[in-house]
Amino acid sequence: MTTLAPRVVDPHLLVELQRLGAPDVSACVSCGNCTAVCPLADNDGTFPRRLVRYGVVGLRDELLASKELWTCYHCAACSESCPMEADPGAYMAAARRYAITRYDPTGVARLLATRPFASLGVLATLAALFAALLTLDHGPAPTDRLDLFRFVPDATIHWTGIAVMVVVVLVALGGLASMIRGVARREGLGARHLLAGRAGWAHGWRAAWDAAIVESLGQRRYREDCTTGTPEPWYRRRWIAHALTMWGFLGLLAATVLDYGLALLHVRATGTPEPVWYPVRLLGTVAGLALLVGVTTLLVNRVRRATTSVEHSEPGDWLLLGMLWLVGASGLATEVALYVGGGPAWGYGIFLAHVALALELLVLLPVMKFAHVLYRPVALFFHSLVRATPGA
Amino acid sequence: MTERRIGVFICHCGGNISDYVDVAAVRDAVAELPGVAYAETAMFACSDGTQQEMVQRIEEEGLDGLVVASCSPKLHLTTFRGVSRRAGLNPFQYTQVNIREQCSWAHTDDRAAATEKATGLVRGAIARTAESDALVPRSVDTTAASLVVGGGVTGLRAAIGLADLGLDVHLVERGEELGGEVARLGRTFPDERYGRSMVDELIAEIGERPRVTVHTSTELAAKSGSFGNYDVTLASADGTSTTARVGSIVVATGAATYEPSPGEFGFGLTGVVTLEEFTRDLESRHGRLHFRGRPVRTVAYVYCVGSRQADGNEYCSKYCCSAAVHASVEAADLDPRVRQYHLYRDVRTYGRFELSYEESRRRGSTYLRYPDDDPPRVVPTEDGRLRVTVTDLLTESTELAIEADVVVLVTGLVPRENAELTSLLHLPVGSDGFYNEIHPKLRPVETVVDGVLIAGTCQSPKTIGESVASGMAAVTQSGAMLMRGVAELDPQVAVVDPDACTWCGACAAVCPYEAISRQELSGRPVAVVDPTGCKGCGGCVSYCESDAIDLLGNTDAQVRALIESMVEVPA
Repeated sequence: MTTLAPRVVDPHLLVELQRLGAPDVSACVSCGNCTAVCPLADNDGTFPRRLVRYGVVGLRDELLASKELWTCYHCAACSESCPMEADPGAYMAAARRYAITRYDPTGVARLLATRPFASLGVLATLAALFAALLTLDHGPAPTDRLDLFRFVPDATIHWTGIAVMVVVVLVALGGLASMIRGVARREGLGARHLLAGRAGWAHGWRAAWDAAIVESLGQRRYREDCTTGTPEPWYRRRWIAHALTMWGFLGLLAATVLDYGLALLHVRATGTPEPVWYPVRLLGTVAGLALLVGVTTLLVNRVRRATTSVEHSEPGDWLLLGMLWLVGASGLATEVALYVGGGPAWGYGIFLAHVALALELLVLLPVMKFAHVLYRPVALFFHSLVRATPGA
Repeated sequence: MTERRIGVFICHCGGNISDYVDVAAVRDAVAELPGVAYAETAMFACSDGTQQEMVQRIEEEGLDGLVVASCSPKLHLTTFRGVSRRAGLNPFQYTQVNIREQCSWAHTDDRAAATEKATGLVRGAIARTAESDALVPRSVDTTAASLVVGGGVTGLRAAIGLADLGLDVHLVERGEELGGEVARLGRTFPDERYGRSMVDELIAEIGERPRVTVHTSTELAAKSGSFGNYDVTLASADGTSTTARVGSIVVATGAATYEPSPGEFGFGLTGVVTLEEFTRDLESRHGRLHFRGRPVRTVAYVYCVGSRQADGNEYCSKYCCSAAVHASVEAADLDPRVRQYHLYRDVRTYGRFELSYEESRRRGSTYLRYPDDDPPRVVPTEDGRLRVTVTDLLTESTELAIEADVVVLVTGLVPRENAELTSLLHLPVGSDGFYNEIHPKLRPVETVVDGVLIAGTCQSPKTIGESVASGMAAVTQSGAMLMRGVAELDPQVAVVDPDACTWCGACAAVCPYEAISRQELSGRPVAVVDPTGCKGCGGCVSYCESDAIDLLGNTDAQVRALIESMVEVPA
């Protein structure tokens, strides 16, 4: 490693991290207690001492290219055992926040993370703009029954949604590209490793399976290793709340896609009332409830500062949970409005808010804490690939 | 010669001795020797009970000699000299035999031989004691005055302390002004005081003390006399000289700051400075740190410059880590945004200075540990800054580059060039070039030359506080020697038999203490030993071709008797 050109240190890195809520890690004496207690630290990934060191010394590229940033679930065992009280767990969270702002090609992430009050204005304006856009050529709002998709025309939602998707995908790809470039170079991995014959392909598939299914959806190590030291009732456990949120969100996504799919196949029109047992509706309802329960638990934990990991919350933490909660709650309220009978005026309002907020959440995905859904699986993919690739 | 009455005590030392040496057999072998009036073994010779018993035996048996066979004289020589004194026996008629370190511990594999060796040693000691004379310590009147050499912070403070004890003080400073190295320092740890201000305070206090005579631009040119009454000649740069009589000499000549050679860590480049220069010229302008008029955003400190070098000064200069850490806290005080990188080998901010180290980290200092064999390199950049490359052991031995505005070389202390003073006062110099004390823990400011004391950084690198503390120790020691007005001297000195002496001058030439002089006696020259100057080293004895010199307490007769009785096998 020493044969490489010297890495130029950036004296301002620590200050930038601190602006994003990093604790004072300059107290760190490199004792390594954090790495010793970390349930994830093993031969394939030693942290958090090394990442703290990058921040303290000012090695920006090394920090941003560390897959370990994203494999940490912030159980805060390190913070509890740190003899210098430097709070490495919170530092890791701040470093992820920093990474999101640096990967983001638009600069919006930086604004959201560093200017909370200005951001609130931007968020409100954006939501209002979406609402205005959706109601630009709105149809009638009959009061005898709730005809949501004539009030906000189907096509408007359809095309706005597609436009938002395109923006999100472009921004996300930009962010992922800078992350992948850095991590791949750091780990000495390239496309050649994946394309290296049958073994390369096998490693790639295996890593993708581990990353997407076992770890991301299955949360294996989150469940098994990253429990907090504080004993808590099962329903407040972090991984359960996180799983409910994630599965709830994915369930809602699936219900939406299915709903649109059925409409496209002319099976039934979007927004048609169905009985509770109707599969798509059932999925949506259960998923929505799961999301609400999960997000509410996470919010309550943060308000109560239930564990060391939620001792400090940054605006970005509240923003993601808050928006998820609003989207979930407004979605559920819309469903209630659909079934209470008649066409109450609040039903239209709630629906409009729901769609506007959902679009906003989607468009902001790559530039807020939500972006971890992009970066974490990629980091887990690399983690698994490094383990499988000899000589990498 | 009348028959001696010698008492012999042979110690078991619990089992330390008796497990391997048959102490009863040793006793039986020597009990009947001529001159032995009493012989016994003891479980622990040094125990209070046995000591009392020894006193009793000496008194009851009317003993005129004592042999204790136990452990090393380094451990209990003073103990049994005390026993002799309490029993009214002259302490110089007691002999210590070491049958523990030299017999039982050394020969655990052969008990018979260990016992035989112990018997031989005890027999030798008995023969030696039989030849011993009663010696009486010599007492001399002392002069209530001290000479302090060196007008730095240590010498100044010592001069004040000596004057306050009531002693007259001559303070000699080679330079034109008092103050020494400390006067040139900026803010010093741990209390932020400028060196100049501390020195000025001490000079003002000296001015208030008429007992202190200050001699600047003056050096110690000559010294004669002996302990308690040294006659010194002080030569001024203007050609005049004065003489004075003093009882003690406190050497506080200090140390010099290591001067990096050109190119050493970029020394000579603009912005590469020593710690001393950095702390002196640091300032805040509009809330931003400035050094010599230029804004400073990043500072790199290189530690151990001139200290702990394999091929030079191997020692640690001790004060520099704390001083550099303190300087960085001070820089952060002046400008909280300044970023500071410390390139160190080990941070030795011992004692309470450790807190300063912690504070500096909390105030934006980053510590990078470089390997002993891979020191940092400093080169200028195109935009007029400095680029420091260092291998950081704490970041997986990654080579890092730091763009700095100032590179501070944390320099240590080196011994001063003082060859003339060293030879004039016969000061012992260690391999590191600093003066040596007698014992690092128990006699920390005394030298082997009686009445010549060392203090401050001429002895070893020290902080200002430690330097002053050692100066005060020298004050106390001077007081202990001089305040009574008389001093007792060891009677174990060399004596010349004037009838045998032919004055060849060999003895005077080898005497390291200049205690031998040529004097006329009945019209012919003979050597005379000044008993107050003689340290009893015995050097002259071995050089004397006419066998005219004897060393009291270790006379030729004593040594000869010892050797002969050891080699002779009794029937």
